Amino acid sequence: MIHLYNVTKEYPNGVVALKNVTVNINKGEFVFLVGPSGAGKSTFIRLIFREELPTSGQVIIAGKSIARLRPSKVAVLRRNIGVVFQDFRLLPDRTVFENVAFAMRVLQYSQREIDQRVPEVLHLVGLTSKAGNYPYQLSGGEQQRTAIARAIVNNPKILVADEPTGNLDPETSWEIMHLLYEINKRGTTLIVATHDQKIVDAMKRRVIALDRGRLVRDDQEGGYGL
Amino acid sequence: MKLTTVKFLIGQALVSIKRNGMMSLASTGTVAISMFVLGTFLLLALNANLVADTIESNVEIAVLLDADATPEEINSTYEDIVALDGVLEVTHIPKEEALDRLSRQFGEEHDLLQALGGVNPLPDSFIVKVENPRMVGEVAEVLSRFNYVDKVRYGKGLVEKLFSILDWVRWLGTAVVVLLSLAAVFLIAITIRLTVFARREEITIMKYVGATNWFIRWPFFLEGLFLGTLGSLLATAALYYSYSYLVGYVAASISFIPLITDREFLLQVLLCLLAGGAVLGAVGSAISVRRFLKV
Ligand SMILES: Nc1ncnc2c1ncn2[C@@H]1O[C@H](COP(=O)(O)OP(=O)(O)OP(=O)(O)O)[C@@H](O)[C@H]1O
Ligand SMILES: [Mg+2]
Repeated sequence: MIHLYNVTKEYPNGVVALKNVTVNINKGEFVFLVGPSGAGKSTFIRLIFREELPTSGQVIIAGKSIARLRPSKVAVLRRNIGVVFQDFRLLPDRTVFENVAFAMRVLQYSQREIDQRVPEVLHLVGLTSKAGNYPYQLSGGEQQRTAIARAIVNNPKILVADEPTGNLDPETSWEIMHLLYEINKRGTTLIVATHDQKIVDAMKRRVIALDRGRLVRDDQEGGYGL
Repeated sequence: MKLTTVKFLIGQALVSIKRNGMMSLASTGTVAISMFVLGTFLLLALNANLVADTIESNVEIAVLLDADATPEEINSTYEDIVALDGVLEVTHIPKEEALDRLSRQFGEEHDLLQALGGVNPLPDSFIVKVENPRMVGEVAEVLSRFNYVDKVRYGKGLVEKLFSILDWVRWLGTAVVVLLSLAAVFLIAITIRLTVFARREEITIMKYVGATNWFIRWPFFLEGLFLGTLGSLLATAALYYSYSYLVGYVAASISFIPLITDREFLLQVLLCLLAGGAVLGAVGSAISVRRFLKV
């Protein structure tokens, strides 16, 4: 599903964020991406949904190299990849419902389809009662659930999350991680960058560890490591 | 494009105008003020041009014939002048009329003819208007070499000076209008950039969920079109009423100044301003968005 072949990413300022990284991620996998600050986790994630292009090497998603996509094809690629960020990135002037519906409107779904699908997803993330709230009326966990609902409302095959629990307390973090796990069980491939050692150790999923841009470990049922 | 989408895009544009109330107000105001200032100076320049044209078209050549020219000779000269390239209009002033005019200038109580001993010393003359006032010197030169032509007068020296002043007025008018157009474009572009900048988050999120570039652009385009049209509509309405008032005032008090009163021409000018504002708004915002589409 996702293949990185010998990927190196050097930013224009000369920082090499990833160096010769080769990784295969299969359909339906749940992968943690760990490593100290500056290891290149966010860069890894950005490469997958093509916010950045690799300096050398190949990023192949669903059999296609994404290096030379036309802008319209980039849009198509992103429809198959949901993204969740540490800082939620919700539209502050829209309700939970509208924030989620926004992703469907962009893909030109009809109002009828939106009215049917959005409540389903809000139910899945446990926000049915908050549909009419604005982001500032929500707790951090609820905001992240909204962001997750938005990311999955179009049924993407891949969901990438960059420190989705970074701004949340441990209990809420667990709830969010469970939600992501639920989504993974429904068949979505998940890649989660995180610093949350306890969660990584407890969930016993595949762990890809980066350090200063290099892949240092890839365990099928790993822990966070030292 | 699906109907839902069209509705969404238009709705999106309207909603964002409302949401970004202050910004919308600022852009509309900027467009309105820039277009008003531009329009004011445009009308000023156009009127200055009209005045210049009027002054120019009043330039004429007086052709004095030999005093002893016979009626046949006068007639054939008349025909020759009329046939000359660049001559617009020739008026024959017989010597009797010339004397009449002169006596009138001296006053009714003097009998000029009697004072001159019963002999009219004035020759027949022609007043010649040329097609292109700039050619007045050349035409006068040619006329002076005609048979039976004694003297040619057109205000040599003075006319050239006048023309250079009028050229200067026209040039200044054009320069001011061009500069103000640039200023208007600049101001409007900056304001629109700001409104787009205020919404870069929204644009980024749209990109993240897989919106195509045109899908993101359309609402901005529509919004810019709407605000640009609204702003320049305010400007042109204000211009129209203030100009009509001014024309009425000038016509009543300083009537010798020719002003553009042709309603149709005026409406055309205002329509151009209106279209300019609308296009500026629409294109400006569509271009400003581009920067944020590269995610
Ligand atoms: N847009 C950028 N331009 C230049 N350098 C960048 C850019 N983004 C990241 N970097 C650099 O690349 C390196 C890797 O950054 P990255 O954000 O991928 O790390 P990370 O593993 O996500 O760190 P953290 O855990 O702190 O989020 C860092 O040295 C960072 O300074
Ligand atoms: Mg990071």
